[in-house]
Amino acid sequence: MEIFFQQVVNGLSLGGIYALIALGYTMVYGIIELINFAHGDVYTLGTFFSLAILSAIGVSGEVHGPALIGIVALAVLSAMLLCGVTGVLIERLAYRRLRNAPRLAPLITAIGMSFILENVMQLWRGPSPVPFPQVIPNPSASFGGVVVSAKQVLVVGLAVVMMAALQVFIYNTKLGKAMRATAQDRDAAQLMGININTTIALTFLIGSALAGAAGFVSGVYYGTTWFFNGFEAGLKAFTAAVLGGIGNVAGAMLGGFLIGLVEAVATQYIPGGAQWSNVVVFSVLVLVLIFRPSGLLGESLPEKV
Amino acid sequence: MRFRSIALRLPAAVLTAALAMGCSSTTSTSQSASSATAGGVIKIGIDLPLSGADASTGIPTRNGAVLAVEQANGKGLPGAFKLVAYDLDDAVQGTHDPAQGATNTKTFISDPAVLAMVGPFNSNVAKAEIPLTNDAELVQISPSNTNTGLTVGDAAAKLRTSHPDVNSYFRVCTTDDRQGSAGAQFARKFGFSKAFIVDDNETYGKGLADVFEAQFKALGGTVLGHEHLTKGQQDFKALLTKAQSLGPDLVFYGGTTATGGGLLRKQMADAGMQSVAYMGGDGISDQEFLTTAGDQANGSYFTVAAPETSKLPSAKVFIADYEKRWNSPVGAYSANAYAAASIEIAAIEQAIKADGGKMPARADVLKFVAATANFPSPIGKIGFDRDGDTTAPILSLYKVSGGKAQFVEQINLKS
Repeated sequence: MEIFFQQVVNGLSLGGIYALIALGYTMVYGIIELINFAHGDVYTLGTFFSLAILSAIGVSGEVHGPALIGIVALAVLSAMLLCGVTGVLIERLAYRRLRNAPRLAPLITAIGMSFILENVMQLWRGPSPVPFPQVIPNPSASFGGVVVSAKQVLVVGLAVVMMAALQVFIYNTKLGKAMRATAQDRDAAQLMGININTTIALTFLIGSALAGAAGFVSGVYYGTTWFFNGFEAGLKAFTAAVLGGIGNVAGAMLGGFLIGLVEAVATQYIPGGAQWSNVVVFSVLVLVLIFRPSGLLGESLPEKV
Repeated sequence: MRFRSIALRLPAAVLTAALAMGCSSTTSTSQSASSATAGGVIKIGIDLPLSGADASTGIPTRNGAVLAVEQANGKGLPGAFKLVAYDLDDAVQGTHDPAQGATNTKTFISDPAVLAMVGPFNSNVAKAEIPLTNDAELVQISPSNTNTGLTVGDAAAKLRTSHPDVNSYFRVCTTDDRQGSAGAQFARKFGFSKAFIVDDNETYGKGLADVFEAQFKALGGTVLGHEHLTKGQQDFKALLTKAQSLGPDLVFYGGTTATGGGLLRKQMADAGMQSVAYMGGDGISDQEFLTTAGDQANGSYFTVAAPETSKLPSAKVFIADYEKRWNSPVGAYSANAYAAASIEIAAIEQAIKADGGKMPARADVLKFVAATANFPSPIGKIGFDRDGDTTAPILSLYKVSGGKAQFVEQINLKS
């Protein structure tokens, strides 16, 4: 049983990273119905940004005491800010002009954007894995044989806090209301005096900032990064968003954690499980979509064409 | 998702097609200059992963082959021919790619000035290339492929599709059955008895891990589990928790650093397995492994399917020349690539002489390579057996300590 709970811990921390990325996918899809394939790469960019900030302030190893909080806050916030700005720029330069174009055009543009980001990162930090400084000391506690490390708490905690904050923002602020209105009916929202461009830019800002936070966390958690990281993580996060119901914030979080859990548990209990975990993940996705085509928490909306 | 995977490959394919076209247009001129008369250009195709995570081993390997070409040009070839090292990268989006290797091989084959080929680095790439070189009877020597099925048995016979009786593929290193069994012998010798095996499910990694498993059991060890990683996987905590629950004293990894070898070792500490030993094949014998695994790299073992060059008197000159030319230390397979290229150059020289100073045919070069015996090289005297395998299978074991790979011992598995 210990092993099962250990796998739950492993799965939740893996799922936390998926969830943070999935939030960005789901927000952008919710508002402009674009699968932003560049999002996974914005996440990788987040690791590189925080890496650059850490090396700029000369941090290369563990930090203790109050300085730790300051450094982590600085790294997370600057990664979030820089990624947010990148997201807004991507929207402004690549997607805005195609907003009323056929669906396929922005989709292809998103794939192109993903290539651009990957190659920029490859030029920037080289094609090989880059070590990420182990800023956070990693004490671990054992609960009846189940080991939980500080980093795992950080990953899950950050994901939950971010999602809660986002939920509050969307449902309790004026800007959030504007976002929901734009998602529901862009033209009607515009007629009601909502600035569509600002609202969509804001969505990209928030979504990409969350990817930036995920980038920092994954750098700390895995200790390495490389330019192509975002591909696999982005794919899983996208799956998480679809599983939870694309366009639904709580669903993205649920989907992320669920995929992480399924992966970890499948690895443990299926013989040769490491190889089959992806198969299990996508089988779960298929099954869920058969019975709930709009995802676990997705609402069935009238067909928009 | 589907769109993306297609789109990923598309630009690479377009690019190589463009490259191939560019090359054929330039070589058509060199061909007319050299087809009949002496004094033309002879190219040695080099296919290795030169970008991405594999580059840290690929580039020093390429440099070894290029050095051999440069030295041969310095000495001069019979018939006043000039050698050109023609290198192509088989990595796509950061990792070696069999389809790209095949495209590169076709590029070499379509260029009549290419008489021999060095490469590839990875066994799965070799599988895609051997049928092509077999068809064209273009000699190919790999500095590093260790998968047994590339040369021996039914698996190898299936690769020789066009000319079943002709072998165009040779290698200067030894094979996985020898590397895996050397690994198992070392592991047992150091007292490990319970192994958990992980591989990356590629031709090389799985082959190595399977042989290790069989041999480790044969030597009285217990194999607690054998798992395969999926491509692009980054989080191995679940897998390692599973491994830890079984209580192994050794984790054996069949695969390369790029396919997860470094991260796996790094995450062992997080899973509470910092005191468990780690062993792999030559796939983790690179700088990348040390960087990725960080402090955790210490205490891991790996075998290399080549003699330790610094222990061989014949390697001293090579190491000095290499360091002088490239201003960087010799890689694990630099000497092998140098030997591979040197064997091909020697065969080309013999073929030029046999053809009376004219541009030799590919089949002639192949014939002389196949007849190689006791060829002096930095990795000892090399000869090829009927299958194209080296007749001097020497393997070395290394242990990482203090962030550096230290030579432990070597064995000669000549049976």
